[in-house]
Amino acid sequence: MKKRSIFLSLSLALMILLSACAKPASPTDQTPITGTDEQVLLVWDQFYRDEESKVIETLNAEFEAANPGVRIQREVKVLADLQTTVKLALANTDGPDVAQVNQGRNDMGALVEAGLLLPLNSYLEKYDWGTVFSTSVASRNSFTEDGKTFGSGNLYGVSPTAEVVGVFYNKDLFKKNGWDVPTTFEDFEALLAEIKAADITPISFGSLDGWNAIHEYSAIQHLLVSLDYINNLTYAVNNVSFDTPENRQAAQILQDWSNAGYFSDGFPGIGYDDSNNLFKAGNGAMTITGSWLAPELMVGTDQEFGFFLLPPYAGKTGLAIGGVGIPFAIRKTSTKQELAAEYLNWMISPRAAELWDEAGMLPAMALPEGSKIDTKNLFGDTLNAWNTINQGNAVGHYIDWATPTFYDTLVAELQKLLGGISTPANFTEAVEADYSAYLQSQSK
Amino acid sequence: MANVTNKYPGESRWKGWLYLLPALLVYLLFTFLPILETIRSSFFQWDGFSQNKVWIGLANYAELFTDPKFHNALRNNLIFVIFYSIIPIMIGLFLASLLSRRPIPGFAFFRTALFLPQVISMVVVGVIWRWMFNPIFGPINTFLRQIGLDSLAISWLGDFTWALPAVGSIGTWVQYGFCMVLFLAGMQHIQDEYYEAASLDGANAFRQFIHITVPGLRSEIAVALVTTIIAALRVFDLVYTTTRGGPGESTMVTGFLIYRAAFTNNRIGYAAAIATVLTVIILIISLFIRRFQRQGIEENA
Repeated sequence: MKKRSIFLSLSLALMILLSACAKPASPTDQTPITGTDEQVLLVWDQFYRDEESKVIETLNAEFEAANPGVRIQREVKVLADLQTTVKLALANTDGPDVAQVNQGRNDMGALVEAGLLLPLNSYLEKYDWGTVFSTSVASRNSFTEDGKTFGSGNLYGVSPTAEVVGVFYNKDLFKKNGWDVPTTFEDFEALLAEIKAADITPISFGSLDGWNAIHEYSAIQHLLVSLDYINNLTYAVNNVSFDTPENRQAAQILQDWSNAGYFSDGFPGIGYDDSNNLFKAGNGAMTITGSWLAPELMVGTDQEFGFFLLPPYAGKTGLAIGGVGIPFAIRKTSTKQELAAEYLNWMISPRAAELWDEAGMLPAMALPEGSKIDTKNLFGDTLNAWNTINQGNAVGHYIDWATPTFYDTLVAELQKLLGGISTPANFTEAVEADYSAYLQSQSK
Repeated sequence: MANVTNKYPGESRWKGWLYLLPALLVYLLFTFLPILETIRSSFFQWDGFSQNKVWIGLANYAELFTDPKFHNALRNNLIFVIFYSIIPIMIGLFLASLLSRRPIPGFAFFRTALFLPQVISMVVVGVIWRWMFNPIFGPINTFLRQIGLDSLAISWLGDFTWALPAVGSIGTWVQYGFCMVLFLAGMQHIQDEYYEAASLDGANAFRQFIHITVPGLRSEIAVALVTTIIAALRVFDLVYTTTRGGPGESTMVTGFLIYRAAFTNNRIGYAAAIATVLTVIILIISLFIRRFQRQGIEENA
């Protein structure tokens, strides 16, 4: 008898506790505080680095000044934190009204499929965003309504910044040794051999973190394939294959570079940041990565750096990996959608472009007329590179968007390729296995 | 028996349960229910945030048992047992018998210094050792080059053969201090007379170690085995901060597969299935070691 009463009182206490817990978790929808007309816009972004954060702070303050009664409540997270928490937050009715949502299937695609993001098509017309960014840029932030097809359908986000992957080079080393910026891929490979012969590391690189190996490979791949192919591959449409002669050739080139010792000694055991720090300290003549590194290379070093696009084969044109940064999106259940859209429009305004420029980051938008930014430096080089591929319709893709597991597969297979334990054919076959399995699962 | 227990002095028994209640509730809410929820999730296909949760029965488990990535990760976990458990216990036994048998100047210092790795957060440990192993400016390779062993100055964390032992040896570094302190405590219960008698019989230090110290520490060794093997099987943070499972899949462990499935591939159900299988494996191993420990105690008695 005793036992039973204990059990009863225990479960009773548990029930009380549970119900007490449940109460505050119920949706407390934000009705404006009575008396004031203050409207709070909750925004999550991942611009946590000093320079970036200042840009957002300035933009937010100016937005509040232009919209009396509006207060922006900002929450900053590093990208990995944002990615793991934003999905659950957007599923809540008291989640952020505006949040940066990473592109690709695992993030934006999954959120669209779950019906948690607001389609922005009506605002695209209202604010005439078609004049701010091209359709090629828009498709990177687009999904069909079921979240299944990437690159078409509704627009779900707008990106304030742009990125291009190319070659950073140490100007001092180049000058001292009489090397010129190569204009063809043939010249580039000859230069690699020349630098190696001078006993200098041609390409500062470390593949321990994995992801940047994808850029190393894909930058070469982008010189060999067509824009149609890279679009089809990335958006997983029109049944293309990864196991192609071009992709295999790119793998061969990468492995040859590794075998020839063109990368940093012991590169498989060096992390991305470490390899950049070594490069910044004058260790290595070049490094292949994205324009986001430029601000870091402009301060705190006595070396002078420049940037160029990986040059195309003689007589041909090439693409470059590039795109727009992580876009801002609106929660579908937000009660302040109009205000949120206004905010998005402000984040891609000419004023925003100006501030990003000053911070040394590439804006996705054109600069306002007559703005005077110093472009005779490293930042100017990245800006020119972006303008070149943007105007030349040569903006490629981050290929790891192609399938939900593509990133993991590419990283593992590239490390094997670079480590010499698989052949270029093994590489393209293994990646194709991932790709075709995904295409098959989609067509079901 | 029942009559006796009811006649303990003091308050009646149900009040005793009342004292347990807060802790019990915390345990139920934050340990037991989440475990049940994890097991339940493993029967669903779910992305972790949408309403779209589909019952798929044992499909996650069926996929798991045929997934070569899972087999590879589990194999790596078992290799980690050598580095996390077997080697630290051997080092711990050796150091403990060295420190306990005769007074050593600075004993407290050694005990604290050797235990220190256990106190540091695993993320910090990972960052430190990533730097230690750096092929260009890391102290290990700098040292190797200085003493002329250039050929040994390899890219530890990026080498397909050496990455797993390298990460494993970090585990050894973290765990041996814990084992040593545990054994030091246990050795205080072994009576000195045993050693005296043994030396009178002419047993050298090594034989004393094998025939007195090791059997005397049976319980402590069992505790060390359970905790370190569990640490080896659920390792995640160390791999995350050093190699992220690379190069290739050569340091991939089940803990990292769970993280990847849940947080980058949006497959909560599959992640839960891996977690459930891992938990069952850990439970079986723990029970097995406890039985071994009980048997030992019975034999001794």
